[in-house]
Formats: sequence, C-alpha cells, structure tokens
Amino acid sequence: MDILSNLALGFSIALSPWTLFLALIGCFVGTIIGCLPGLGPSNGVALLIPISFSLGLDAISALVLLTSVYYGAMYGGRISSILLNIPGDEPAMMTTLDGYPMARQGRAGDALVISGVASFYGAVIATVGLMFLAPMLSRVAFQFGPAEYFALYMLAFCTLGGVGSNNQAKAAMAAAIGLGIAMIGLDKTTGMPRFTFGELHLMDGIDFLVAIVGLFAVAEVFHFIESHGKNSAIGVKLGKIRIPWGDLRKSQGAMARGTGIGFVAGILPGAGASLGSFLAYMAEKSVSKNRANFGKGAPEGVAAPEAGNNAAAGGALIPMLTLGVPGSGTTAVLLALLLTLNITPGPLLFTEKPDVVWSLIAALLIANIMLLVMNVPMVKVFVKILSVPSWVLLPGVTMVAFVGIYSLTGSSFDMLLMVAFGLLGWICRKLDIPTVPIILGILLGNAMEDNLRRAMVLSNGDWTYLFSSGISVALWTAAVLGFVAPMFLRRVLKKPPLPATESYDRD
Amino acid sequence: MTKTFARALRAGVLMATLGGTSAMAAECIAPANPGGGWDFTCRQIARILQEIGVEQNMVQVSNMAGAGGGVAYTHVVGQRATDADLIVAASSATTTRLAQNAFAGMTVDQVRWLGAIGTDPGVIVVGKDSPFQTLGDLVSAVKADPSKVAFAGGSAVGGFDHLKVLMMLRRAGFTDARAVKYIGLDGGADAITQTVGGFTQAMTGDLSEITGFIRSGDVRALAVLADARVDGFEDIPTAKEQGIDFEAGNWRGLYVPGGISDAEFDRWVEALNKVAASDQWKQTMTENGLDEFILIGPDFTEWVRNNVTEIQEISREIGIIQ
Amino acid sequence: MAADRIFGVVMIVLALGYILSAMNIQTSFMSDPVGPRVFPYMVAGVIILCSLVMLLRPDPNANWPAPMMALKIGAALTVLVGYALLIRPMGFIIPTAIASAAISYMISPRPVPAALAGLGLGTGLFVLFKVVLGLGLVAFPRGWF
Repeated sequence: MDILSNLALGFSIALSPWTLFLALIGCFVGTIIGCLPGLGPSNGVALLIPISFSLGLDAISALVLLTSVYYGAMYGGRISSILLNIPGDEPAMMTTLDGYPMARQGRAGDALVISGVASFYGAVIATVGLMFLAPMLSRVAFQFGPAEYFALYMLAFCTLGGVGSNNQAKAAMAAAIGLGIAMIGLDKTTGMPRFTFGELHLMDGIDFLVAIVGLFAVAEVFHFIESHGKNSAIGVKLGKIRIPWGDLRKSQGAMARGTGIGFVAGILPGAGASLGSFLAYMAEKSVSKNRANFGKGAPEGVAAPEAGNNAAAGGALIPMLTLGVPGSGTTAVLLALLLTLNITPGPLLFTEKPDVVWSLIAALLIANIMLLVMNVPMVKVFVKILSVPSWVLLPGVTMVAFVGIYSLTGSSFDMLLMVAFGLLGWICRKLDIPTVPIILGILLGNAMEDNLRRAMVLSNGDWTYLFSSGISVALWTAAVLGFVAPMFLRRVLKKPPLPATESYDRD
Repeated sequence: MTKTFARALRAGVLMATLGGTSAMAAECIAPANPGGGWDFTCRQIARILQEIGVEQNMVQVSNMAGAGGGVAYTHVVGQRATDADLIVAASSATTTRLAQNAFAGMTVDQVRWLGAIGTDPGVIVVGKDSPFQTLGDLVSAVKADPSKVAFAGGSAVGGFDHLKVLMMLRRAGFTDARAVKYIGLDGGADAITQTVGGFTQAMTGDLSEITGFIRSGDVRALAVLADARVDGFEDIPTAKEQGIDFEAGNWRGLYVPGGISDAEFDRWVEALNKVAASDQWKQTMTENGLDEFILIGPDFTEWVRNNVTEIQEISREIGIIQ
Repeated sequence: MAADRIFGVVMIVLALGYILSAMNIQTSFMSDPVGPRVFPYMVAGVIILCSLVMLLRPDPNANWPAPMMALKIGAALTVLVGYALLIRPMGFIIPTAIASAAISYMISPRPVPAALAGLGLGTGLFVLFKVVLGLGLVAFPRGWF
C-alpha cells in the first residue's frame, strides 16, 4: 500500500482550495487554447510559464496550473475537430475523421460527450499506469533503438491505406508529400540546408501547425464558399443533448484498446501523442465490428483516438520524468518547467523527490476530474457554436487561425505558406486525397529519416540491421500485413473498396 | 517535435515580451531545448541573479533551439544587436560551431563575449554491463576494429561531443577520424537511453548531463576528461591517469549582443562576477559536477578568440573543415 | 478522370524537380552510409509511383467549380494573401475587419451583416487575443496614435 500512502502524500500537498481554483482556471484556459486552431498544448503551457512566475506561484501551484492547462488543451483540441472539422491541435486530427461526420448528422453533442469520456478514461488509466509502473516502464524506452523506431514509423505509414480515402495510392501519395515537406530545412545530421532555396524562413523547416491550419481551416473556407455550406455541420439541426449511454457502452472496448495503444506510444520518446491517436484509430478500425461505419460517424472512431491521445500524453510523462527525455513538444515544455523549479528529472527522481512526483500525479488526477466535470455539462454550450451563422463563424475561425500562426512566428511568410496549404487542402479534397497522411508525414518525417540514418551508421550500412531484433521484426510484420491486407481483401470481396487493415500487433 | 517546441517557446517569449506587464525584465536565451547545458546555464544564472538581488524581476529564460545554437546567434546578431537586457548561454559547442563556420557565415566578433563561470568536464561512459572496464579497453577496441564501437552523443556530427571522441582517440594514437562511428541524438539524455539500451557501445557527454544515470548505476563512467578528479565524483579516474593526456571541458558562459555600450557591458560583467562569487553558484557547481573556471570580461573575449583558432586547427587536421 | 491525371503529371514533374534539387545537397565530411540525399530520393520515388497509379487508374472526376465559382475562390484566395501581407504593416484591427467582412460577404452576400461581422470580429478578436490571452498584437499602424 506504498502507492496509496504516496498518493495521499501527493494529494495532501496538491489539494487545497487555492490549487483547486488554479486548476479550474488552468482547465478553462487550456480548453480555450486547445480548441483554437493554431494554438496547441505546447503553446499553451509555454505561454503560461512566464505568467505563472510573474504571479509568484510556488512550485506545486505552478505544477497544478500547468498540468491543468496541458490536459485542458488536450481535451479542447477535440472540440473544433468535431464541430468544424478543424483540429485544434495535432493529436486531435484523427478525431475529425468520425467526429465531424457525427456533427453533420446532428450528433455533435453525442460526439463531444463520447470523446470527453474517452479522454478522461485514457488520461486516468495512463496516470494510474504512471503511478504503478513508471520505473519499470521507463525500461521500455531502452528497447527502442534506431531500427525499432524506423519500423514503428513504417508501421504507421503502411497502415495509412484506408484513412479517409478509398484509394491506397492517394493515401501513400499524401504521406510522401508530407515526408517530402518534412525534409525542408537544415539537415540535423550534417547541418546542411535542404530544399530551402536560400530562404531563411525555411531553414528551420515548415512548422506542422502551419500545415494543419492551412490544410484544414483555410481549405474549409474555400470548400464552404464553393459548396454554399451544403455539407457543413454549421447550422445543422441538432439532436437532443443527452448522455448517449448506448454509444458509450458500445465504445468501451474502443476506449480500452485506444488507451493501451496510446499509452505504449506515449512511453516511447520517439512516438508521441499524434502517433498514439493515429495507431489507436487504425487498430480500432481493423478490429471493430462496426468498421464499415468508420469515417462516416462511428462513435468508436471518436472514442479510440481520443482515449489514445490522452493516454499517450500521460504515458509521455514516464520517459520525461524517469529519463529526462521529452517525448513531445508538450512534455518538453513541462520538462522546462521542472528544471525552472530546480527539479532535474532522471532515474532517481522517484526515489529522491517523491513529493514532487506524487504531487504531480495528484495534480494530473485533479485536472482530469475537473475537466470531465467541466466538459460534459459544457457540451450544451459548445454545440451552440454550430448555431452561430456561418457568415460570422467561418471568417472568425479563419482569422483565429491566422492570428495563431502570426503569434507563433510574427512573419507574413508563414501566413502565406498557410494559405498555400489551404489551396493544397482544397485540391486534395477535390481529388479525394486524404490530408491526415500529409500531416503525419510532416510530423514524423525528420525522426524517421534520422533513425534510418543512425541505424545505418550503427550497422555500417548493413540494411538487414533494420530487421535484426524481435521488436522490429514484429513491427515490420504488422506493417506489411497492414499494407497488403486491404488490397487483398478488396480483390477477394469484390465489393466497393472497404478499407480494412489486418490486426495490429500490440507488442 | 523539436521544431514545434522551439516555436512554441519562442511564441511564449514573444507573448511575454510583447505582452506588456514584465517587458523590462532581463532575458536569458538558452539556444537549445530544456535539459541541456545551455538551458542549465540560463536557469541557474537567472535564479542566482534574482536571489542575490542583482536583478529585481525574474530573469526570463527562453529556449530557442535550432542549428546547434545558430538560430539564436542569428537572432541576436540580426534582431537584438542593441538589446542591453539580453544574455545568451554559450559553451564550447558555440565556439566549436563558430570555428567550423556553421553559423551561416557569422563570426565570433559579432557578439560580445561576457564570461565563463565554470566548466563541465567531459566524460566517457558505457552501459553497466559493458565489457569495457577502462578507457584503455575502449580505445584498444576502437583500434582493433572501429566499426564495432559506436559512440552516441548529444551533439550533431562534427559538434563538440563528436569532436571530444575524435580528439581523445587522436591523443591515444588513432587518427582515422572517418572510421569512428558516431550518432548524434537530441541531447545527452537521449544519447544515454541509446547507450543503456545497448544500441551504442559508449557515450560521450558532459558530466552534468549524466550525474543522475551514474548515481542510479545505469551507466559506468570510464573516464573524466579533466586535469584532476572532480569533487563529488572521486571514483571516476581521469583520462590522464589512464595514460591519455586529454582534457575537454565544456565551459559554461554567456555572450551578450554586439551592439551594446561599454557601460552596459560592464554592468553585466559586474553582475556575472557577483554570480560567480556567490555561495549559491558554488553549491550549484558541486551538485552538478562542474569544475572551477572563472574568466569574465575582456580577458574572456581574448580567450574565446584563441579557443576558436585552436578548434579551427584541430577541425582542419581531422578534416571537418577545409 | 482528367483531374487525377493532371495531378499525377504535376506531381511527377515536382518529384523530378525534387530529385534534381536533392542531388545538389552537400554531404558532410563524415558521410554516413545513407547521407542526406537518399531519403529524399526514396520519397520522390514513392510520389512518382503513386502518380503513375493515378495516371493509369484515375478515379471518376470530381465536380470542378464553374468559371464564376472559380473566380470567387480566386477572390477568397486574394483576400487571404492580402491579409497575410497587410497584418504586419497595418496593425491587427483594420485588415482583420476587412478580410472578415469580405469572406463573410462571399459566404452570404448581404452587405450590412457582412460589414457588421467584419467590425465585430476585428475588434472582438483583438480583445480576445490581446486582453484575454495576452498575445502581442498591434491594434493600428504604428504612428496613428
């Protein structure tokens, strides 16, 4: 019962009316930051670090405030995904695939409740995992070298086949475009510029936030103007807002599987929340009984990625705390916070500074309970967004997107780039080319290449090294199955192409 | 991910500096992600400056990662050249990159070098189950077959961590720099993870990056690259003791924008002297395995110039630059 | 049909350009076995392969906008580009108001509500970002006040 007494210690430090108040503020601000396209969790936390210090907060209060913002933004990201088809942050992009169709059917409220509960489920289970297993699980990161990471990324790209498109070539094309864009900038290994054409703004590469906001938000404007809003969720007659018990029960399995996959992805420093939600969605799509409805508004397609990305956010704290390796932009900012508080994460943190660790865990639980309590009743307020007339809402969202990008970089260059991505997004939509793989490519491209190159250095150029460990062979097998199965099934079934992927190896 | 993070923090800084309330506070730019040496320098100096009352407001630490410090250097030279409230963390890695002309043509004279207040001795570590017991074991293994020993480090190819390995091996009589296997990762913690996992056979970094892992027993330090054993880590032998006369300390210091006045520069010199003399800094040094190395003001500028020339010579000999 | 084919051709051309550009990337002294060029080559290869599939087995054509609609989309594009260029020199409020009003008008062609939407969004968003979130935005061109 060591853990219980530790947890009690954590709560005794982190639980007071003052910290509860801070958590409330943090959750609220985080939710807003999360649902505004262009401002994600890492911006939110980065934004608040200076503020929390100018407020003179002590270490624990700052920790409570910032973890609330962190998770608030993770919860908030799904809101604009579901209502407007615009992900508020990158892990929420998978939620657009089924969340937005649900909103179009007038079931925005259901989608928000399901995703809210799924987020809570994923986050809390991950926190419990952090409590019981952190020191043990930190060892998992030691099992993943360059070859294993490369295989993991290959798995992600090979299972892309059925994302939002029926044409595997188009999905692959989209992923390759994303990877190609990721190559722009300074090559990390040699320090030489690639595809920058002497443009200084391109030296640091193209920020995927610019791409996301362009591909989704700006493209949505073009699409809306062209279609006169015919296929939009804006102004759709809303169903009665109630708790969809039936759907929640049906998506329990999806939440559990999503949480498991997301948590594992979170533990690996090279994977992160976006990969977690992506793999959770693809895995669910391949095992679900309801797979035919994926992409058309399946509740499981909302539950799995949301559970996945929140579980990954929790899982990512494990390498951050036990190894000092941040697995994502957001954990990197939290790491900065800990260092500012003169706490150095590392293998001894759990034994040397239990008060910090356990009050952080308590803060995570407080934030999540608060967010669940806030989010479910607030659904009624959120869905009201869809009743705002489109001629106010859409320009508003566009301008928010611009300001988000502008505040990041302060340059017109990135805004122009964003408009260009908007045009690309619009064309892709016309041609039925999915945009999610483009984002995935931009997100993972550099890590994928770096790991390939590191693997080749280690093996002196021997390509068989990529398949030399049990983990990598398992990942490659899953990747090949994921790639081949849809083509094969399509031919056998001779039906209109129903994308299906082979069971994903969760090893 | 690094990119987002850099952007995110920059956004935070932008917002904080433009936001209004605390616009006058001094700022320290750490040209890398949190957790590394530059970040450490900024955060410690920022904390002590406030604790000893030199700065009334909190010193804002911002991370500006990219191009091994090049992004921050370009930023300071190009956009903040007269900002007297700005200090930037620097180390051997900064001068190494400057020496190798890796900052897009920028030179060492475009900023003012404020001072160094400590040095972080280099270490060479192996996983706890490694067959290598001494530095000699490791070096003979490289000499026997360099393709069998891979080093991991937190800097890119040609960076200071990489250079450390090459220079050490050179002193030990192995000169084929191209044959030495090295992979650069995102910082020391990442490099350790790969070494503990057995993907690389050894890791080079700074002592302060590794203290937690040495104390937890995940890695063994074969040698510290200092002139004497370091306080607090007395059981780690120096390279010199093991017959390889090589030292490589990663000094911790600061530069300031090149366009500030002499009076403003002197104000920073005085501030940094106070930090260096403070008990807080002494305690920080012992806790983190830093060695004494204080050189502040014009002397330091001179020292940096010589250091750059020296690294240029070595890089040329090894073949990193023409 | 045609659209997929045109896109395929365009992408092949782009991919070839990409390969050409990749051939000029400098390699470092410590050439790792893969180097900085191989991965871009692989990516371009995948793009060409997928483009060929699109050329040979195109999907049925999408509905492309009629000339009038294309013009409208072009106008929206122009507004957004203009906005991106003007927000720095002109401050936040004026370009935002004009751009929102223009987009609003394109969505629903009624001048008065569009103008109101523009005004409301220009000021409302400024308050939201500047005051609530504390972003550093400039309200008007420098020198006006």
